[in-house]
Amino acid sequence: MYLEYTINYCTNNTYESLVKSAFWQFLIQPETNETQELIAVEFKNSLNIPHEFSINGYGFNSIRVTPKKAFKEIHFYASFTLKKKEIALDLIESKLTIEREMNILNSLYFKVDFESFLKTTSYTQLQNNDRNLYLFDWSLSVLKNLQNLNSWVFNYIKFKANTTTVNSTLDEVITIKHGVCQDFTHLFCAIARLNKIPARYVSGYLHQGNGYFGDSQMHAWAETYVPSKGWVGFDPTNNLFTNSNHIKVCHGKDYKDCAPLKGVVFALGKNKTSHTVQVLSQQQ
Amino acid sequence: MTNIENKIFSSYQKDAALYDEIFDSEGQVKEVYQKLFSLYGEHSIEDYVNLNSKAKASFFNQGITFQVYGDKETKEKIFPFDLFPRIIDPVEWDIIEKGSIQRSKALNLFLWDIYHDKNIIKDGIVPMELISSSDNYLDQMKGLDPPEGIYNHISGIDIIKHNDGKYYVLEDNIRCPSGVSYVICNRTALKRALFGVFNHYQTYSVTNYAENLLDLLETVKPHGVDIPNTVVLTPGMYNSAFYEHSYLAKTMGVELVEGRDLFVENDFVYMKTIKGPEKVDIIYRRVDDQFIDPLEFNADSVLGVPGLFSAYKKGNVTLANAPGTGVADDKAIYTYMPEIIKYYLKEEPILNNVHTYHCSRPDELKYVLDHVHELVIKPVDEAGGYGILIGNKLSKKEIELAKEQLKANPRKYVAQPIMSLSVHPTYIDETEEFEQRHVDLRIFTVLGKDKEFVLKGGLTRVALQKGNLIVNSSQGGGSKDTWVLKSI
Amino acid sequence: MLARVANNLFWMGRYIERSEHIARYLNVNYFSSLDAPNQKSQSRQFVLKSMMFMVGDPEKDEENILKENEILFKIGLDHETPYSIINNIKYARENANSARDLISTELYEALNKFYHYIVNYSPENFVKSGLHDFTTHVMETTDIIRGKIRGTLLHDPVYAIIMLGINVERATQIIRIINAKYNDALNSQGGYTDKFSKSFEWTTLLKCAESYDMMRRLYKKTPTSVTTLEFLILNPNCPRSIMNCLNEVYTLIKVLDNTTKYNKKSTAFLVGKVRSEFQYKYIEDIEGNFQKFIEKILDDLSQISLKMEKEFFNY
Repeated sequence: MYLEYTINYCTNNTYESLVKSAFWQFLIQPETNETQELIAVEFKNSLNIPHEFSINGYGFNSIRVTPKKAFKEIHFYASFTLKKKEIALDLIESKLTIEREMNILNSLYFKVDFESFLKTTSYTQLQNNDRNLYLFDWSLSVLKNLQNLNSWVFNYIKFKANTTTVNSTLDEVITIKHGVCQDFTHLFCAIARLNKIPARYVSGYLHQGNGYFGDSQMHAWAETYVPSKGWVGFDPTNNLFTNSNHIKVCHGKDYKDCAPLKGVVFALGKNKTSHTVQVLSQQQ
Repeated sequence: MTNIENKIFSSYQKDAALYDEIFDSEGQVKEVYQKLFSLYGEHSIEDYVNLNSKAKASFFNQGITFQVYGDKETKEKIFPFDLFPRIIDPVEWDIIEKGSIQRSKALNLFLWDIYHDKNIIKDGIVPMELISSSDNYLDQMKGLDPPEGIYNHISGIDIIKHNDGKYYVLEDNIRCPSGVSYVICNRTALKRALFGVFNHYQTYSVTNYAENLLDLLETVKPHGVDIPNTVVLTPGMYNSAFYEHSYLAKTMGVELVEGRDLFVENDFVYMKTIKGPEKVDIIYRRVDDQFIDPLEFNADSVLGVPGLFSAYKKGNVTLANAPGTGVADDKAIYTYMPEIIKYYLKEEPILNNVHTYHCSRPDELKYVLDHVHELVIKPVDEAGGYGILIGNKLSKKEIELAKEQLKANPRKYVAQPIMSLSVHPTYIDETEEFEQRHVDLRIFTVLGKDKEFVLKGGLTRVALQKGNLIVNSSQGGGSKDTWVLKSI
Repeated sequence: MLARVANNLFWMGRYIERSEHIARYLNVNYFSSLDAPNQKSQSRQFVLKSMMFMVGDPEKDEENILKENEILFKIGLDHETPYSIINNIKYARENANSARDLISTELYEALNKFYHYIVNYSPENFVKSGLHDFTTHVMETTDIIRGKIRGTLLHDPVYAIIMLGINVERATQIIRIINAKYNDALNSQGGYTDKFSKSFEWTTLLKCAESYDMMRRLYKKTPTSVTTLEFLILNPNCPRSIMNCLNEVYTLIKVLDNTTKYNKKSTAFLVGKVRSEFQYKYIEDIEGNFQKFIEKILDDLSQISLKMEKEFFNY
């Protein structure tokens, strides 16, 4: 049983003055993994500049565009078709004892192997007095604790668009207690990592047919490494395990590693960028 | 034998506490320097005044200068050059050369390991925090195999001679070590000024650096390239080392490019020539990691090439040195060098390391706080001699201030016993006399595929201020021609 | 060769050449005005205005009295005026800096020494008594530098590009000088004796182009408007003539582009076309319609420069 999705991604960039030189790198193409398979990709832009498919520094698929002539306005349009498996998460409590799980989390090998997703970054930095914001209950399993954390984050922050920006730190989020998927995910990752559980930031698309939170842009959620199960996805914005509505593009330490659009644009004056994302499903 | 009545040394003051490179503890001239000493004695001090000003003018006219930025205008300065060469005998050189190769190889294996399986950390030799907390550890380099497994193609290892007469390594520079052009310019300048002295010594030439560098770089060409196209990437002519970049490009016979001369298409790198795009295979880059690719690192960089890192990751271009080498020349890693050498090479270190106290360890921090006056305190991540505190030069108030700094941010500092750098007779402008000045030595080592090269010579840097131990050019240091003898 | 570096070398050539022409213009005009045969040509204001006209910054207010010190400083050693000699030399050296790996040490050293000499030249001294010394030094040193270019570089595309810069600039400067002196000749027309065609300014013009002696040798008569213009514009054997520069440019561009295909978009094609037009011109056609001619040739030269930029220096 699988679902077929079509994802339409559009972005419009307008500049006050003529842009002589620019480079863009898109990180918007869904990856192919055990639960999803990319079938078709279409990419266009309003200036008909040729594009290249490549990889970024972390090995995820990127699309690069470099215009050769000056412009003031450019639109990009991408469409991806993919198959997604229905995911039935195995929620049976692990056979590992809590003690055994703890031993694994504390072992040097484990810490070294998961070093990237255990360290604090500028986006996942908690101030000292916020470090006790949420405490784990170590009489419970890692998975149960993460599930509780997921609910806690969901309740702690209210979803509200345009209260935070892509540069907001956790400080600001904790102060205003409002935010978007990115802020939910950073807070979730920060607390998981404080508790020595590897957590990575995931960027992707959410099929919103079921009334989930998110806006008409890209979505973010987290994956944590549970010793008994491997990587498990949590969507703290919606208080869910990730499921067949979550279409993954890439992961990293935080938003910075996953920014959907990176541009180096040599232009004076102001610019405007807008994105829209549409996820359509067709049950097969 | 020794002509101690030497005119030009009649007023040379010898501080008994210091290790003098040319006079032994009895005040006698050491064997290797004897001929030179008497040859120099044939000249009067007026000759040196004259030669010195000629040498200066020659550097200035050749444009071998670096820029000093002031409020109103930028000034051009020459890197002061001293007329009295330093001599290293073949026995000592053998140790230095072998030791430098050993260190460079160990650093290279260390870099491979920490960007792959991290066995040295899993085996508990080097703490994880040193790596994961370092800004110079690049996650993008994880699992990436640089061509032929070489990371630190070019290393500049700074060594000194302590008053026990032994060489110690002070620092490993494996990002973009500079200074090699001065080694060659100093030789040229000394030859012009005092050609006669060269007839009396069998000295190794230093002019073969560029050809060896190119040869070795070509051994690490990307897979599938037949005759590689090499370039030198410079931040541009306003960079303080621009002379060196242009010198290296010229002597290697390759193009000197800036970021804006290069572009990436379908993950291959090209340069824009008058005949259209030309593919580039090997980039000897003198641009720091953070600036090489704005799409991957510092987005504001205009020095880099968008897409360069992807081309590198795909194996289509060689970068020398590899990105992310900076993690291994961190001062905190330095202190683990003896263990690193033993771990990878199963050998004893040939060159000594200075004992280091880690302020991040509570017991060692305590020792440091109690002994600030007899230690050198260094920030772990500053280059160019900035932020270094020398304990015995600090006032009571400054010591207290230093202690506060250490307590506030212990991870940021390491401390070492104050090493007494050896001294060497150096011509001093103000007094028009030869005086003792502290010197160090930078050794240039190049690693290629199954091959290595050490430049037989090196940059002897001189602290021109009396008693000063910091020899960096940005801190007012000069340099000397350095002779490695083929035989005594 | 990198396109950016080629561009820099081209401009290095242009700036070296430009500084020489400005220096000579100052020198010749100033010193020949001192004993000029008519009052107008002797007038200090006349000379200073002519200098400003030549560097492309003409004084618009005819009543305005220019101060000699200020004008000399402005054109000679002022860092603030883009056309000053000191800035031209500074730009030349900066351009050379970025191409140090391609040019000879000897050439670089000569240019570098020149730069330091000029930068350290005292402005007070210059405006008071150093005009001759300073401008002579500039003229002589640019000659030395051109000698180093010819004598120490491989005669390959690097050389061709520098020489292209020199020749394009030479043609441009000669035209500007002709224009300035033509203007002076018009303005200095006085009574019946000071007829335009026999103006004293033609002699000065030839001296500004270092071509007086050879012109006398060839024509054996006092220079007139027709003979002077013919010599400086159309005579292919006069090394400073526009014709000669165009011939040089044509030969040099062939080093960069040696195809024989018909390609009307190439720089070589344009250079060839302009050159051929010149080769068969009558001086009378030019004299009758001088302003139009000046505009046309300046436009042709800048088109050549633009085309080169597009074809070779695009980075």
